[in-house]
Amino acid sequence: MNLLKSYFLPRLSQWLITILIGVTVTFILPRLLPTDPVERTLSTLSSLQTMDPRAVESLKEALEDLYGLGGSPFEQYINYWKRLIRGDLGPSLSAFPTPVIEIIGAGLPWTVGLLTCTIFISWILGIVLGTLAGYLPKKLWCQIMDKIFISIYPIPYYILALILVMAFCYHFQVFPLVGGASGKPEISWSYLSSILWHSFLPATSLIVGSTAFRFIMAKALTSTIIASDYVNYAETAGLSRWRIVLFYVIRNTLLPQATDLGLSIGGIFSGTVITEIVFSYPGIGYSLYMGLLQADFNLILGITVFSIVGIATAALLVDLSYPLLDPRVRYK
Amino acid sequence: MQNRSKLIILLGLVGINIILLTACKDRANTTESTPSSKSQLPVDLPRQDILVVDQIFRYSVVENFNLWMPGIPSPTRQGLIMDSLWYIDQETGQQINALSTASPRYNKDFTQMTVKLRSGVYWSDGVEFTADDLVFTVNNLKSNPGMLWSTELELFVKEVKKIDNYTVIFELKDSNPRFHYQFTIRYNGVWMQPKHVWQNVEDPMTFKFNPPVSLGAYEYADSDPSGYWELFKRRKDWERATPGILTGKPGPPYIMSVFYGDSGRKAMAITRHELDMVQNVDYEAFQAILKKTPTARSWYKEFPWAYPNEQSARYFGFNLGSETVFSNKDVRWALTLALDIVDLQTEYIGGVARVTAIPHPASPPQMELYHTPLESWLKELQIEIEDGIFYRPYDDAVPKKIAAWAQKQGHSMPSSDEELRLLFGTGWWKHDPKIAERLLLKNGFTRNTNGEWLTPDGELWTIKMIVAPDEVEIYRLAIGAQDQWADFGLKLEIETLQRDPYYNRNLMGEFEAISSWSNASDGDATADKWKAIFGLHSQFYTPNGKSTATTGSTNTLRVKSKEMDQIIDELDQIHPEDDRVVELGREFMKLWVENMFSIITISFKNFTTVDQYYWTGFPTNENPFVQPLYWFGGGRFTFQNVAPAAGNTPKQ
Repeated sequence: MNLLKSYFLPRLSQWLITILIGVTVTFILPRLLPTDPVERTLSTLSSLQTMDPRAVESLKEALEDLYGLGGSPFEQYINYWKRLIRGDLGPSLSAFPTPVIEIIGAGLPWTVGLLTCTIFISWILGIVLGTLAGYLPKKLWCQIMDKIFISIYPIPYYILALILVMAFCYHFQVFPLVGGASGKPEISWSYLSSILWHSFLPATSLIVGSTAFRFIMAKALTSTIIASDYVNYAETAGLSRWRIVLFYVIRNTLLPQATDLGLSIGGIFSGTVITEIVFSYPGIGYSLYMGLLQADFNLILGITVFSIVGIATAALLVDLSYPLLDPRVRYK
Repeated sequence: MQNRSKLIILLGLVGINIILLTACKDRANTTESTPSSKSQLPVDLPRQDILVVDQIFRYSVVENFNLWMPGIPSPTRQGLIMDSLWYIDQETGQQINALSTASPRYNKDFTQMTVKLRSGVYWSDGVEFTADDLVFTVNNLKSNPGMLWSTELELFVKEVKKIDNYTVIFELKDSNPRFHYQFTIRYNGVWMQPKHVWQNVEDPMTFKFNPPVSLGAYEYADSDPSGYWELFKRRKDWERATPGILTGKPGPPYIMSVFYGDSGRKAMAITRHELDMVQNVDYEAFQAILKKTPTARSWYKEFPWAYPNEQSARYFGFNLGSETVFSNKDVRWALTLALDIVDLQTEYIGGVARVTAIPHPASPPQMELYHTPLESWLKELQIEIEDGIFYRPYDDAVPKKIAAWAQKQGHSMPSSDEELRLLFGTGWWKHDPKIAERLLLKNGFTRNTNGEWLTPDGELWTIKMIVAPDEVEIYRLAIGAQDQWADFGLKLEIETLQRDPYYNRNLMGEFEAISSWSNASDGDATADKWKAIFGLHSQFYTPNGKSTATTGSTNTLRVKSKEMDQIIDELDQIHPEDDRVVELGREFMKLWVENMFSIITISFKNFTTVDQYYWTGFPTNENPFVQPLYWFGGGRFTFQNVAPAAGNTPKQ
């Protein structure tokens, strides 16, 4: 009960306040952009068809009405919260009248699928390999691995991604150039295998980069921990190396790694624009990017709400899991 | 214990590998590229049945075919499944009578328009297209403000009446000799709605029209939920749609549009024979395509390769909405004469576009109407460089100079002047920095000890120009101007912007100088300049700080001219086929040139590239029977002419 009052409830309130402030700031920011969605629509239309200038004024009024941009900003803000509570994110202004939720629904599963897998794989690989490299620094294979990851880490992500595309889509035409799968979504090996096949290169690019980062982080943490008394004691007691690595080293490096994992998972909802563009892979990042360029207030807000809730919730879960990972938190 | 852990890890890794390898096994084998192979395309159809075309952007909305709503993507698909009354072929300039059998017939004061409709045209669900559909479409759009064309139709149409199944009369509220432009397609226009479907729709704004009942030769088959591709299947009764009726040809069994992304990725796709028609790629990507794909080509088989006839031109413009040094036409002329068009067109554009000195694209039919007849006037044109001293700035030797450059690069060039003019345009302005200097000195500009120009106020003269670098040509032209004006002692600062902020700054008048396109330099493949210049009229004038998009103005440079208003007023009153139309067009161009309201440089060029590995029958310079601009509304006729290449036997 005491733990609930002193630990859980403050964090839950913090979570709610974070979401409230995040959504409010996101509501305000797009409205400060120099681009106006109605003007943008009119400008696009005039480039695509014969628009008689005499008809533009009335079309502008009709569009403002349709887009729901009438009323004061405060009234719009209140209406937005009312809609949000009902789960309605409104229509996309750049793809009117498509509901924002439909656009997010089309991209989010791809982003979540790709990023969740790659984050977990790189997290596990990075920790295991980094810990081994830190624990067994004199082993040749650890030194080679160390050099490889330290060389990969500074390479900008887009360069790495382009190298993969050039190598495996152009010179060796093994992987597809576009899309996330072949055929219509269904539960069949054919469809699932096509997802694996299409995601192989984007996933590889993401895993390689983030594994290198986590490898370096885990190695640095391990270097500190192996000098501690309990590791020395475990070695003196003759425990196996695997046991020492798993239960004495990795476990004690987990706290910062779990925080990093939580925040990475929360960030999934923002998408990865570069991955989507370089690999022509579906996802939510490109929609957000286009929404920003086209002043699509509703789309920006919709995606950002997911992102804010995702990050805040992940941070909350990480916070709540500390007592489980570290008994010292419980005892405090 | 240790061994057991190792074994478990090893087995896990082997398992992951087996899954991945199995997933890749069959698919990796599909890269073999013979005209009968499968491919890595995302649909399970024989490659030889599909014409794959470049989708010019990734759709954010899929499976919504309500193309009467703003925001629903229209390229390519509008030509495949929609239809309207008339088209203007962008290559030949000819009007194509599609759903209408003849040109519109107006009464004397242009308050009534009669349309004769084609019989024997059917929607894809078997219902015949009749006057009921046209009347319904007009009334439905009129009664739903916010739908495309609703405001225009509400503004102009008093009443639309069905006389019989194939005759419709429009009663107009005011005299309007160009009302039929609403139904005349270049890219887009009033598409017909099937009355039998739409009359039961409660909310036309949110209706998705999915699956669409098609009036084109194709019908919707499938699409990627993420907007990367769309697939259309040829209708069984394709002969009952206007593309089939007018061409008598079936076209490919399937047409698939795919968004591959940037030029590099499109080049990769062509090399893999996974893309047959490309809207545009940059120069470098095109060269890479030529090296790797012998079956690929653009408009010309050899240099200058690119398609040069899209109806617009590039320009450097200056904001004339407030009093600055650019308000002085001598300054604008000085900047023009400080440019070297031959260097710009060759070193920065690769020699692959036509130059144009007048605000109009230099396509062959338009050159006959405007560039060639105006040439004697251009040659005689004089500007006053000092009091009483005049100078003739026009240089008709520009095409020869470009040809000389091309020959040095190893390209063979025709010997006749006429052929060179067809390749590179009729002429441009002389590169004469000395005259440019005299013009500036006359107006109080001076040079400092470093040779840099100072404004009449004594400030170092720096021009700030906005550019959208994703529109590669305007960016390269700006870089060229920066280099050339630097040699002249003038600093040009280029501000690169993403496309949307760029448009926004342009429309709001928040720029000093701009590298851009369209505006007064647009054409329409017809003789009528009305579409390009009507929005320049002072009645729509929009001051800096307010967007021209909201007022109907196309005058983003904020040009003010009473003479221009007079030309536009007269043009607006006459029918587009009136003989006076061309004369007024020429008067407008003379006015623009004399005042150098913007520095028009080159006509549009696109590396509209085709791979003839699976398909042939594309329009080319040798056979320019139809526009290659397949993503326009008239692309429906381009597709219909595409036929299997030798060795490719479609299964359907």
